[in-house]
Amino acid sequence: MSIDDATTAVSEKLAGREDMIVCVDVDKFYGDFQALKRVTATIKEGEVAVVCGPSGSGKSTWIRCINRLEVHQGGDIVVDGIELTNDLRNIERIRSEVGMVFQQFNLFPHLTVLDNITLAPIWVRKKPRAEAESMARALLERVGIPEQAEKFPGQLSGGQQQRVAIARSLAMEPRVMLFDEPTSALDPEMIKEVLDVMKELALSGMTMMVVTHEMGFAREVADRIMFMEGGEIVEVGTPEHFFTNPTEDRTKLFLSQIL
Amino acid sequence: MENRDAILTIPDENGSLPPKAPNLSIGQWFRKNLFSTWVNGILTVLGTAAALLMLRGVLNFVFSENRQWDAVRTNARALMTLTYPESQYVRVWVAFGSVVVLAGLSAGIWADWGRLPARRLAGWFMGAAGFLAVCILVREPSVLMDLEGKTIRLPDGSLVRESFASAMTDRANWWAVVALLLIVGGVIWRSDSDKKQLKITQVTYLGIGLGVLSLWVAPYGHYAFTDGTYIADPNSTVAFSTKMPWTVMWIMLAIGFFAGRWLRTSSYLVLAKAGSNLLWLISPVTLYFVILRDPALDYSHVFSTDLPMGLAFGILGACFLWFLTRSDIGEIGRILATAMLGIAIFNWVAAFFGWYPMLQKARISFLLLAVAALLAPNFVGEAAKRRQLLLGWLGTMALVHYLATMINTPSTVELQSTEFLGGLGLTLFVAVFVVLLSFPLGVLLALGRTSKFPIFRILSTSYIEVIRGVPLISVLIFFSVMVPLFLPDGMELAELGAVLTGYTLFSAAYLAENVRGGLQSVTKGQYEAADAIGLTSAQRTGFIVLPQALRVSIPQLVGQVIATFKETSLLAIIGLFDFLRVANSVIPAQSEFMGVKREGILLVAVIYFFFNFVISKYSQRLERRVGLGER
Ligand SMILES: Nc1ncnc2c1ncn2[C@@H]1O[C@H](COP(=O)(O)OP(=O)(O)OP(=O)(O)O)[C@@H](O)[C@H]1O
Ligand SMILES: [Mg+2]
Repeated sequence: MSIDDATTAVSEKLAGREDMIVCVDVDKFYGDFQALKRVTATIKEGEVAVVCGPSGSGKSTWIRCINRLEVHQGGDIVVDGIELTNDLRNIERIRSEVGMVFQQFNLFPHLTVLDNITLAPIWVRKKPRAEAESMARALLERVGIPEQAEKFPGQLSGGQQQRVAIARSLAMEPRVMLFDEPTSALDPEMIKEVLDVMKELALSGMTMMVVTHEMGFAREVADRIMFMEGGEIVEVGTPEHFFTNPTEDRTKLFLSQIL
Repeated sequence: MENRDAILTIPDENGSLPPKAPNLSIGQWFRKNLFSTWVNGILTVLGTAAALLMLRGVLNFVFSENRQWDAVRTNARALMTLTYPESQYVRVWVAFGSVVVLAGLSAGIWADWGRLPARRLAGWFMGAAGFLAVCILVREPSVLMDLEGKTIRLPDGSLVRESFASAMTDRANWWAVVALLLIVGGVIWRSDSDKKQLKITQVTYLGIGLGVLSLWVAPYGHYAFTDGTYIADPNSTVAFSTKMPWTVMWIMLAIGFFAGRWLRTSSYLVLAKAGSNLLWLISPVTLYFVILRDPALDYSHVFSTDLPMGLAFGILGACFLWFLTRSDIGEIGRILATAMLGIAIFNWVAAFFGWYPMLQKARISFLLLAVAALLAPNFVGEAAKRRQLLLGWLGTMALVHYLATMINTPSTVELQSTEFLGGLGLTLFVAVFVVLLSFPLGVLLALGRTSKFPIFRILSTSYIEVIRGVPLISVLIFFSVMVPLFLPDGMELAELGAVLTGYTLFSAAYLAENVRGGLQSVTKGQYEAADAIGLTSAQRTGFIVLPQALRVSIPQLVGQVIATFKETSLLAIIGLFDFLRVANSVIPAQSEFMGVKREGILLVAVIYFFFNFVISKYSQRLERRVGLGER
C-alpha cells in the first residue's frame, strides 16, 4: 500500500465524521517562555491521533490544554462543539466528556479500586451507587482485572494501576480519551498489557489522543501521527508516511534517534 | 531416606517456607544485647542501678508513714464531679453510662480488634509478678510505731525501722499477689499447647470485669464525706453507691458491644456507622446541657415560641432546598444560595451593631440554611438524593433548636457555685467539647489558608498567626471578660461558655497548622486527576484532598488532642474547678486534710498519664490501619 493509498484509506475511514477536537493557533506561555506556538490541528470523531516528539517539545502542555488542566493564552480550542473559555460550566462539561490518563497513574491511594472508579459517576453523573458499581465491575472486566476491585491502588502492580486509571476515565463514558505517556512509568513487561487495553479501546471506536514513544503502537493503531518540536507541530501524516518517508529533516533526525 | 527429607522441607500452603527466627536463649540474649562490650556492660549495670534507686524513691514516697491517702479516698467524688448534689447523682451515672454504651457500640461496630497471642498475655502476667517482686524488695522497711500510732525515735532523732526480714514477712499479702500472678501466667502459658490467639476484646472485657468484681469482694475500704461527716472504714468493701453503678456500667459496656457486633454483621452497617458517629458528635452537649443540668422547661414558652420557630425553619427551609435541587434550576440556584448567605451574614453584623433583635438560634438557622443551599448543587437530580438533603436539613434543625432551647433554660440542679460540675468530669467535658468543635473549624482555617482566593487566605492566615502569637491563658482571660458582655446578666453558664469559646478558637488555630502540613503533602497529580474526572472543587477537597491530608497529619493531630486535654488545667485560672485544682486547692482546704496536697496531685498526674497513654496507643493503631492504602 503506497502512502497515498494509506492517506486515502484514513480519510475514507474518517470521511463525514464530525470534528471532535479543534485547535486553532493555540499559544501557551510560561512566563516569557512560549511552550506552544500557533498549534493548529483537528481530530475527528473516532480518530486515533498519536503525538510524539523530543522531550520538552510541548506535547504534555498541549494535551493538558485540551481539558483545561493548563490555560492557553491565545487561539481557540473547541471540544465536541464546546469552546474552552473561562466559563466554569463549559469547563465542567468538557471535563466530564474528556477522559485523561496520566503517566504517573494518579489513582486515589485512600480509596479502593472500586471507589476510585465509581466516585465520579456517582457524584458528577449522579448515578445510583448500585448502577455505578456494576458498571465499574464491567469496566474492570474489560481491562482484564476483575478480581482486584476491593484492593487499594498501592497493592497493585504499575500495569494494573494504569489499567484501573483507564477504567476510571472510561467510567465517565467520555467521548474523547487523552493519554499522556501512559506507559513511560512502567516496566517493559507491563507495557504490553496497557497497550493491549488501549488497542481494544481504539478498535471500539473511541476518539483518542495519545502522547507516546511506543512507535510499535503508533504504527499499528494510529490513524495519524503528529510530530512536535519546540512547541510547534512540525509534521502530520499517516503512520506509513511518517515511518517510511518523512518530509521534514527534524522528523528524520528524531526517528533515527528513537528507532 | 531422601523422601523423608523432602517431606520435612515441604513448603506450607502459600508456597513459602516461614523464615526461621534466630532462637536465642535468655543468657545469649543478655550477652548479645546488654553486655556485648565492657562499656556496654558498665552502662547496663549503672542504668539498672539508677532505675532501681528511682523506683525505691517513688515507693518510699507512696508508702511513707507521712502520706495521708485517706484524703484522696475520701474525696474521690469531689475529684470526679466536685459539688454535684448527692440527691441527683444518678444523673452523673446516666451520663457516664450513655458514654459507656456508646463506646461499647463503636468498639463493636468499627474495630477489628484482632487477637493477642496467649503467650504474650502470659508474659505480661509474669512480667507484672517480677516487677511487683522487685518493688517489694527495694522498698525501705517500714518505720516502727508505738501503741499510740506515733513514730519511735532514737535519742539522736533518727527513726526506728523494722528489720528487712520482718519487713518481708509483713508484706506476705503482697508476696501472695506475686505468687497468684505467677500461677495465672504459668497456667495460661502451659495450657497454650497450640499457640492460641485470644480475642483482644474478650481479654479486655474480662480484665475490666475482674476489676469490677473485686469491688464486691476486696476490702478496699469505705471512705466518704456524707452530709459533712467523715466516714473511714478501712476493712469493708467500697460503698454500695460505688460498686453497684460500676457493675451496671460493666453490663452496659457489654450491651453496647454486642449491639455493635450484631450491627456489624447486619445490613444496617452503614447506617449504624453514621448513627454512632452522629451520637458521638452530639453526646457531649446533650449529656452536659440536658442530662446533667436538667433544664426547667417553661412549656408555655416552648409552645408559643420555640416549637413554632423550629418548625418554621424546618419546613420553609425544606421547601427552599427542594426548590434549589430541581434539575432545571441552573444559575438561579447559585444566585439564591449566595443571597441566602448574604442575609445570614447580615444578621450577624446586625447583632454586632444591635440594629434589630433576633434570637441567636434564628441567626444560626439562617447561616445553616445558607450552607445547605450552597451544598444543594451536589444533590440535584433524582428524588432519593434530594430527599437525603431534606432529611439532613430537618435533622439538623431539630437538633439545633432542641439544644438551643435546652441551653437557654435555667437548670433545676441545686448549684453550690456558678458551675455545678468540676473535677475530672469538667476536665473531660471541656477537652472533648473543644476537640470536637475545633476540629471542623481548624480544617476550614487550613483550607482557607491554602485557598487560591486572597481574601480567605489573608483572613485565615492573620487569624492563625494572631492566635498562635498569644498564650492560651491570655485568650482564656480575654474571653472570660468578653463573653459575659454578650450574655444576659448572671447567666449560670457564663464562665464555661467563655472557656469553651476561647479554648475552641485557640485550639483551632493550632489544628489548622497541622492540617495545612497534611494538605501540602497531597501531590499535584491528585488535584489534576480529580479535576480530570470532573469533580467540583468542593468534591475534590472533600473526597480526595482532605482524607489524604488528615491521614498524613494523624500524629500531629493526636499530639494536639493530648495537649488540649492536658492544658485544660489552665481553666483554674479563670475560676473553674478542674481536676487539678480540686487536688491542689480544694482538698488541702478541708479541715480534716489541712495542707494535704501531694497525694492528690500524684493521683491526678497518674490519671492524666493514663488517658494520654491510651489516646497515644490508639492513634498508633489507627495509623497502622489507615496506612493500608498507602503501601
Ligand atoms: N509549569 C511550567 N512552568 C514553566 N515551564 C514549563 C512548565 N511546564 C512545562 N514547562 C516548559 O514547557 C516546555 C514543554 O513542556 P512539556 O511538559 O509540554 O514537554 P513534553 O513534550 O511533554 O516533554 P516530555 O516528553 O519530557 O514529557 C518545556 O520546555 C518545559 O520546560
Ligand atoms: Mg510530557
